[in-house]
Amino acid sequence: MTPESKIIRLAELRQALARFPAPTAPPERTWESGWAALDERGPLRHAEVAELCASSALGALFLHQILGAIRRRREFAGLIDCGRTFDPDSYRGAALERLLCVACKTAEDGVKAADLLLRDGNLPLVLLDLQALPRRSLGRIPANTWHRFQRLVEKSGTVFIVMTPQPVVEAARVRIALRGRWELSALGRRRSELIAALDVQIFQRGREAGRAAESLVQTA
Amino acid sequence: MSWFAAILLPQFPLQAALRLRAEAGAGPVAVVEGDTEKGHVLEMTAPAAASGVLRGMASTQAQARCPALQLWPRAQAQEQVVSALLLEMAGTLSPLIEATGEGLCVVDLRQLKTDDWERWARGVVARFAALELRAGVGVASNPDLAVLAATRAEPVLIVQHPGAFLAGIAVAEVDAPPELVAVLRDWGIGHLGELARLPRSELVERLGPAAGVLWERATGRRHRELRLVRPPETFFEAFEFEQPIETIEPLLFILRRQLDQLVLRLREAYRVAAKMTLTLVLEHRAAQYERVFTIPSPTADAEVLLRILHTHLENLRLEQQPIGVRLHIAPVVGETSQHQLFESALRDPNRFGETLARLTALVGEGQVGVVQLEDTHRPDRFQLVAPRFEALKESAEAGREESRALGLPLRRFRPPFAAQVHLRRYLPTFVFSANAHGEIVDAAGPYRLSGQWWERAAWGVEEWDIELGNGELYRISKHQDAWFVEGCYDAPVR
Repeated sequence: MTPESKIIRLAELRQALARFPAPTAPPERTWESGWAALDERGPLRHAEVAELCASSALGALFLHQILGAIRRRREFAGLIDCGRTFDPDSYRGAALERLLCVACKTAEDGVKAADLLLRDGNLPLVLLDLQALPRRSLGRIPANTWHRFQRLVEKSGTVFIVMTPQPVVEAARVRIALRGRWELSALGRRRSELIAALDVQIFQRGREAGRAAESLVQTA
Repeated sequence: MSWFAAILLPQFPLQAALRLRAEAGAGPVAVVEGDTEKGHVLEMTAPAAASGVLRGMASTQAQARCPALQLWPRAQAQEQVVSALLLEMAGTLSPLIEATGEGLCVVDLRQLKTDDWERWARGVVARFAALELRAGVGVASNPDLAVLAATRAEPVLIVQHPGAFLAGIAVAEVDAPPELVAVLRDWGIGHLGELARLPRSELVERLGPAAGVLWERATGRRHRELRLVRPPETFFEAFEFEQPIETIEPLLFILRRQLDQLVLRLREAYRVAAKMTLTLVLEHRAAQYERVFTIPSPTADAEVLLRILHTHLENLRLEQQPIGVRLHIAPVVGETSQHQLFESALRDPNRFGETLARLTALVGEGQVGVVQLEDTHRPDRFQLVAPRFEALKESAEAGREESRALGLPLRRFRPPFAAQVHLRRYLPTFVFSANAHGEIVDAAGPYRLSGQWWERAAWGVEEWDIELGNGELYRISKHQDAWFVEGCYDAPVR
């Protein structure tokens, strides 16, 4: 068969295929957290890895917000607590009975635990809290780990949030950066007021034509 | 006409020993009563019989005739399982059953309406074959006749004409007093047919009432009531290894076979497994390892049950090697329930159970689960317990309490860091510790907590929330005279 005839056949094939509708990407399912600052500008999505970059205090506030959302949605979640810093007394009255806690000491164990929970696929939301670990131990997590997790959540549809003190997760489709500074008087204020006062920045990968852009772009 | 069926498991001790390892039956094997070296042969496989091994033969003599002969002691645990299995299966045929003997039971079929007994009996044989058991089924008009038919069944025998069937059976073959058999032999009567031709009254007059019973059996007219037993409702399998096992593979191989059998029986009874108890008999038989598994979503799926066992055994370390394995299943009636409209459920509770087991193996016991706060004011007192997501009930109060939460959540240091704290007029002014260090510019406290003062385990603690000059927020505490940094509210990453 000559190259010319091959080209003609390819054109014929394209013409034949044009009769069929173009494949459409499945609709993205968002996971409403009930936090307007997040849901309106860059909501969490099923089957995506999200990263929360914040200080440990703000991470704990974010967890409080997530626990509220879990109760409203009547769902379950998993929290992998690397460093074993989770204090249930601070969340009295929250949906702790809906939260599976996995307490581990090292980042390595945390990554293994996340792998098990994501492969399991029973929990619609999994949080990997790495905020209490030293920076150097975060740097030791291989970058391909996050890409592997992205493949896993695509299969199970899980919302996977990695809580870090600094950007670490290359594969994150959404990065939420929280900023806030507190004085001792904050310990007497309502938690909902503290959350409302947070400076929230959201970075997302481009979603044009269903294709992810190379870098994260801040959402207005 | 009333009908009875006798179900016989021929070579019962051999079948019990070879069950779940049928491949061993292809070679010369003999089950020995007593010690394998000094005992006598009870039953043997066809290759062993072909080599000249006979029942009752001393084991040394048997080995002399067949050097490749494997001598196995009686597998008591497996015999118990097979006996229970026989009654359990018989119980599915009729509620009226008799445990007649070792590997033999009689079933009263008077309430069963069928014209094709041959087909029915073959169905019973097939059901036993599915349980890896060889059965013979005899169907006749009375229990004793049915038992005789079962001993001659290949694999089924229906006795439509008792007279013709009994005529060719030797008197010595039936269960009769030996002295009576000897007298009849002297009279030249060797078969039941010859005995049936004698007049009953004169026979009883000369030889006593036992002769009358024998005559009734010879004519097929003897009817007796069954000694009824209730079939056991235990789903149990046991297996004894020839040698202690060193790796997980042979154990999983046998567990798989046991589960296949148990699941088959569960399905026959329309049940599902709710709990599994695994018992490993260890090398020194006095010791054993036992573990109970609660099945998150009761099931009769052998794959799921095996995965649960496999996950546990993968991480199990024993000081002694197992020599036997027992598996017991607690059955329940399978539930079919509709999911709640607004309540999400786990997609696969059994898989979730396995994942929890794997997580526990990874991070340790007590490090996986949902939080269960202890009923105390003592700080940091809680346990992680197995989740019960399916049984959750939402209270309206819980959400309200959550919205009233105050302040920043704490991140605890476990264990807390020892610290030195300077006080001025009872207020902390400076803290020195491995992670928090500096001047205290603001402090809230003291928050004094104490409890169990009426017990030896009395406790008391004084807590302060502090702000350092660099803006970091911590909780410090004083236990007796020692200070600790309990956790941080806001601090940079190190």
